[in-house]
Parts: sequence; structure tokens; C-alpha cells
Amino acid sequence: MLKIQYKRKENELDTELLELTGKVLMSNPDINTLWNIRREIFLHIRKDYSEEDLTKMYDDELSITQYCLKKNPKSYCAWHQRMWVLTTRSDPDWKNELDLCNTYLKLDERNFHTWNYRRFVVSQCKPPLQDEFDYTTEKLLDNFSNYSAWHYRSKMLLQLYPDVEGGRPIQDIHHKHELKMVINAAFTDPDDTSAWFYQRWLLGAVKTSINLVACAVSESKITVAFSKPVSLGYVQSSTQIFINNNVLNGEWISCCGYQYDSLWILKQKVDLMGDMDIKAEYEDENKERIVIKCMKYKEKMYIGKGKISFENKYSQPVVEELNDQLKSCRQLLALEPDNKWTLLTTTVFLHCIDAKLNHKETINNLEILKKLDHQRAGYYSDLISKWCIEEQLPIDYCLNSMVFKVKTSDKITCLPHLQYYSFCEEVDLSDQNLCSNVLPSLILLQHCKILILRNNKLVTLKGFPNIDLEKLDIQGNDGINVEELKQFKQDHKFVTIF
Amino acid sequence: MAFTKNDVKLSGDVPKTLLLQKHSDYLASYGLNKDDFEYCMTEHLRMSGIYWTLTAMELMNQSSRMPKEEIIEFITSCQDNESGGISASIGHDPHILYTLSAVQVLAMYDRLDAIDIEGVVRFVTSMQQEDGDKWGEVDTRFSFCAVMTLSLLQQLDAINVTKAVHFVLSCMNFDGGFGSRPGSESHAGLIYCCVGTLSICKRMEALHADELAWWLCERQLPSGGLNGRPEKLPDLCYSWWVMSSLSMLNRIHWVDKDNLEKFILACQDAETGGFSDRPGNITDPFHTLFGLAGLSLLGNTSIKHVNPTYCMPQETIDRLKLEPQKLHI
Repeated sequence: MLKIQYKRKENELDTELLELTGKVLMSNPDINTLWNIRREIFLHIRKDYSEEDLTKMYDDELSITQYCLKKNPKSYCAWHQRMWVLTTRSDPDWKNELDLCNTYLKLDERNFHTWNYRRFVVSQCKPPLQDEFDYTTEKLLDNFSNYSAWHYRSKMLLQLYPDVEGGRPIQDIHHKHELKMVINAAFTDPDDTSAWFYQRWLLGAVKTSINLVACAVSESKITVAFSKPVSLGYVQSSTQIFINNNVLNGEWISCCGYQYDSLWILKQKVDLMGDMDIKAEYEDENKERIVIKCMKYKEKMYIGKGKISFENKYSQPVVEELNDQLKSCRQLLALEPDNKWTLLTTTVFLHCIDAKLNHKETINNLEILKKLDHQRAGYYSDLISKWCIEEQLPIDYCLNSMVFKVKTSDKITCLPHLQYYSFCEEVDLSDQNLCSNVLPSLILLQHCKILILRNNKLVTLKGFPNIDLEKLDIQGNDGINVEELKQFKQDHKFVTIF
Repeated sequence: MAFTKNDVKLSGDVPKTLLLQKHSDYLASYGLNKDDFEYCMTEHLRMSGIYWTLTAMELMNQSSRMPKEEIIEFITSCQDNESGGISASIGHDPHILYTLSAVQVLAMYDRLDAIDIEGVVRFVTSMQQEDGDKWGEVDTRFSFCAVMTLSLLQQLDAINVTKAVHFVLSCMNFDGGFGSRPGSESHAGLIYCCVGTLSICKRMEALHADELAWWLCERQLPSGGLNGRPEKLPDLCYSWWVMSSLSMLNRIHWVDKDNLEKFILACQDAETGGFSDRPGNITDPFHTLFGLAGLSLLGNTSIKHVNPTYCMPQETIDRLKLEPQKLHI
């Protein structure tokens, strides 16, 4: 190493140095500096060499990387050197590189370095995408338990078969074909997880949209809630609030203090004496202007609600396929009632096909999964909470109430979609299983005056947001330390705390 | 059954309690013999070695056992005047990986004055301008190193943060995870880098949190240990990559903490001290740090709080007044 460093310092970038660094790298290919030196040598001497000699030198370099990769197939440095050689020399043989990938992927079908290199080669020599798609089919038929191939396939699928007209991620016919292929794979070995992830993705590959879901106008605060986080730029350009047909101007502030947020606050004082005509307008992604009329819920408080939807919108052929597959899943489940993956998939099918109709059964299944797959009980609990809130929300949105109370019989453990309830003055979250990690989310309750968190599982009030409450009930959270509670009460003097 | 084909079984005689003193002794004596074969073979990553060791010692409140002045002097001598970057060791080329390690170490020591900060900033920003390192290597690991380094130096604005976020998001996959480059398969280590980048840049809302966290919690195997990709063996270091990501996603309760703790404790070597990748294997400082940091995330009170984004003691992050984002749930 000392000699190498000396020669480099003296700028002796010659074949001797090439040889010295080569020797060390062949025993340890991860010394990045030595590869850097080799690249310097190549750039330094190439002007003095004939094309023929250079070809030989580059070929030798490829042999060295190949030797190193045999020693350590996961060497970032060696793979990168190979890429460098191929993009630096004037006569790259891409076909040879693709063959090399095929060989290496036969030896280890999951080496992500080889797959990365394959993508690099493909990006350079540009074979038909269909060939690469067929390659994944071939690899998968060889062994369905090849997550790397499923991954690569997902990329190909979106590029080859996007549903440009319908705006869906994948064309119906191919979406259906993939669903068939993946369920076949999953049933071949239900305990292998690879295919199940691909399937879950296919089920979620639907069109999604951004909607303005709630607008609340009081004299002190104006808020608009969106179905998904949106940027300041989006709010500024797409959303307007009118009082008696006069547009409100003011600064939009993110509720949580981030660049993208699901709840935005308009900084503008307004006078709401008497009866006002208030509406919110926004432009959806089809450039259509949607008007949301705000109703007077009480003196000086106007609330408007947009359309809400949590349904997956599949095309008819895909729905038919899903129904067929649900039947197969039920048959398999009858044979193996304790198979987690079959039960989970059955449940996801039920939810995707008709969440409302199948609500009871899906929640019941998730309760079983909590026991069957107990390591992930926390996940299933949060999923139950999410699906229950999605079930309750459309019902609540039909009522002219400013109170949010959890109505499900299953205790919720998290607070999904809370921005939908940002207009509520009273929020009753009592007798649930909420832990302290949900506290920061409460910042979305910008109009809340009375917050009831009685009988939950809070152990600390750290992270409790700064909101203008009048009453806060945190009784029955026995984990909270007495000292902390005392301090909290002192810090929130204007709130009546139970 | 295939379900357990890529897993390990914990035998009855694995360690079940945390052997803090052993680990502290192990790290204090590690690398003392500089003629050691192991020491020479790891010269090219020495700076990261120092970061792993010091952070582990800090988490155990034992950093006074490290030769502080010698380390600071070493770091100073590894900075390249021309590029401003820092190398793994003297005589090696500066690299973003080791520049980050050096900055992390100095941040813990509250001695960032020991290097030319403007030089480091120059080095990091040049990488964004040239789309990768000097030789064209592009990787989400480097994006994370860049934003972490700059934020520790309170100079995140020196790069185009939007562009960095865009690059990371262009690496998102069907499963909500991330790989090292656009198109690369999801891998828990690279997911940590990408989620960490978004946490520092405060753009975590761009994640598909439920999908990603589900994939991450599915890394837990019946042994309690975590793997880094589907159908792979568990490895202790994923106790960090997976759990820190879940922690930033505010969904750490999606794994079975007790089972994971058992697995982590089983990776200790009761004789030599230190942690290894799997029960019974040879220990090293890398796995020792991630074992301890994993236990910290799980709430072990005999170890200091670790920050899930920076993998440094929370007290250091508080002192620097950094507030990386954590998602709401």
C-alpha cells in the first residue's frame, strides 16, 4: 500500500501501478481508492496507446472485476468499475454483458447488484422491453419465490401496459392476467411470501384522486382539509373561499408546518355576523371546478363537506376476476383455515370488492389474524381502526353534527383520516386503545374545543400539540406520571383538564 | 414448511440479558493492536469503524473509554484540503460515506470546529452538481449521507433539497420500499436511507406509509429476528434498518418487540462481548452498534435514547436543535 501511495503522489500513473493495485484488489475488492487510482491511470495513459492495446487493457480490466465479483458478488466498487469501463471504452459489447447477467442470475437469482447491473446494461443497449418482461416470466416460472423478478416485472408492467385512456395504472386485460398469474404462484406455495406482496400491489393499483373533503369557516380560523397531503402551490392555485361571492385573500399556512399537508389554514380574519353565503371552490385533477357550499352549523360557524370515497375503483373485468379469486381463496381456506396468507388475502379481497357490504366479515377476519399472526397484531389493530373509520366517515358526513365520537365496537388504536374531522368542536375518543404515539396527530383538530381522551392507554403527554382547547379529559390513563400531569396542567392554564 | 426455511432457531443457551460491561470492554480493546490482520484489512473503512464504536460507547454512556483527542486529530488529518471531503483513513480518497462518519463523530464530541466546515459543504454540494460522485456512482445511500452531513452542519440549504427528494422518490417501488437507484429492488437498508432523507427534508408525507410499514413488519421471522428482503435470513443489523424506519413512520408497534428483543440479545457473545449478525457468529463493532441502537428503539432503559433518523444519541440531536420528521398516525 505504501508503494502505491508513493507512486500516486509522484504521479507515476503507469502499468506498474496498475499491476500493484490489481494485486491488492484481487484480495480485497472493496478498497474504493484503488479503483479510483486505476481509473486515473486509464485516463492518463490512453492517449499513448493504440486502439488495439486499449481494447486489450479494458478487456483485462473486465476480467479483474469478474475475478473480484466471483470473490465478492456484492462488491459495490467492483460492479461500479465494470460500469465505468463499459461506458468509457469506445467498443462496449453489451450482448456479452447481458449474457453475464443471465449467468450470474442463474447462480444467485436474488443478487440485487446483478439485477441493478442488468438494468444498467438494458438502459444502454435498449433491447425490446417485452424481452425483459418475458425474462421475468421465465425466471418466475422457474421459481415463483423470486421477489427480485416480481419487482422487475412490476416496473416492466407499468411501462409496457399503462392504461392511458382510462387513467388506471395498468390496462384491464393485463391487470387481470397478472392477477391470475400471481394467485397461481401464491397457491403453488402459500407459505412463500414473494407473490403475496405482488398481489397486494395489484389490488391497490387503482386510480386515486385528490379531493377537498371539508371546509370550516369561523371568525378566528378558516381551514380546508384534503383527502391527501397537498402542496402550498396546489392550494394556492386550486382553492378559493368565497363569502357573499367575494373571494378571500390571505396566506395559506400548513397545519403541521410542512411543505405538503392534508389540512391548510387560511390566515384571514372575517366578520360572520348574520347569515352569510359561504362556499369553497377547488379544481380537481380533471380541471373541473367543484363547488362546496358551507352551511351554517351555528352562529359564526360554517361548514362545507365534499364527496368522500375510500372505495377502490376497479374496472368490471377486474372485479369479475377478483370475485373468482375470492371463491378460490375461500376453498383453500376451508382446507387450511390456519394459513395466515390465505386468510389475509381473502380479507383483502373482501375489502377491495365491497368494503361496506363485507365490513363485518373483514373485521372479524382481522381479529382472527391478530391471534394467528400475533407478531403483527399491532398492524392488524391499526388496519381495523382504519377500516372502521372509513366505514363510519360517510355516515358522519351525512349528519349536520360538529361532534366526532368513535362508534365502532372495536377499540381504535390510531387516528387515520383525522383531517376529515378537522371541523369538529367536540371530539370524543374515550374508551379506546390509543397510545401516546397518536398525540401529535391531534393537531389536525383545529376547531376542537372539547377533547375527550378518557380511558385510553396514554403513558405520557409528550408530543401533545398546541391547540386551543377549552376542555380536555384525560382521566383513566393510568400510565401518565403524576409529576408530568402537574406540569402539563401548569403549561395549559386556560384549559380545564380532568 | 417453506415459511421457516430462511430463518434460524434460537437454542436454549443463548444470552438472555444485556451484557453491557462485556460490550464496553470489547469495544475499548477493539483495534488496539494496529498490526492485527483485521485492523489492516479494514483500513479502507476506518472512519466508519470509529463512528460505530463511538456511538455504541455513547449509547452505553462509556465514551470516556475512547481516545478522544487522538480521534479528533485523526479526523482532521483525513480531510482533503482540495476537495474538502474526508477519507476513511490517511492516504485514501475522500468519500461521502466517511465524510458523514467523521461529521457524526465530531458532532457527538461537540468538536465540529476541528474540520474545515466550508470544505465539507463544498465537497457535498459538488456531488449534487455532478449527479453522483466523481466517478459517476449514484446511490440513495449517498443522498442520505449528503443531507445528514449538511443538516448536522446546519447547512441543508446548501444543496437543492427538492432535487434530492425527487431523486429519492424516483426510487420508490411497487411495495412502497426503495432501492439504491431508480428501478432497484426494495431493501431495508436502503429504505432506511430514503426514509431518513425524507425525514430530514421533512417530506415524509410522500411515502406510502401503510404499504411500506406493512412490508417492513413482514420482515419479522418466527425467530423474532428481521431480514432485509423477503425470503432472506435474519440479520441483527436489520433490527436497526427496519426498526428505525418503522420508528420514523410511527409504526414501531407493528412488530413483536419482545420477540425481537430476544433475538437481539441472542446475538451477543457472552465470552468476547459484542454482537454478531446471527446467534453464534463472530462479533464486530458494526453489529454491536446496531444491536444496542435496536434495543434503544425498543425502549431498553439501560441504553441512552437513540434518534431513529441520525443513529446518534438523542441528546446530541437535541443539542444541535435538529427536529427530523416523524409521521403522524
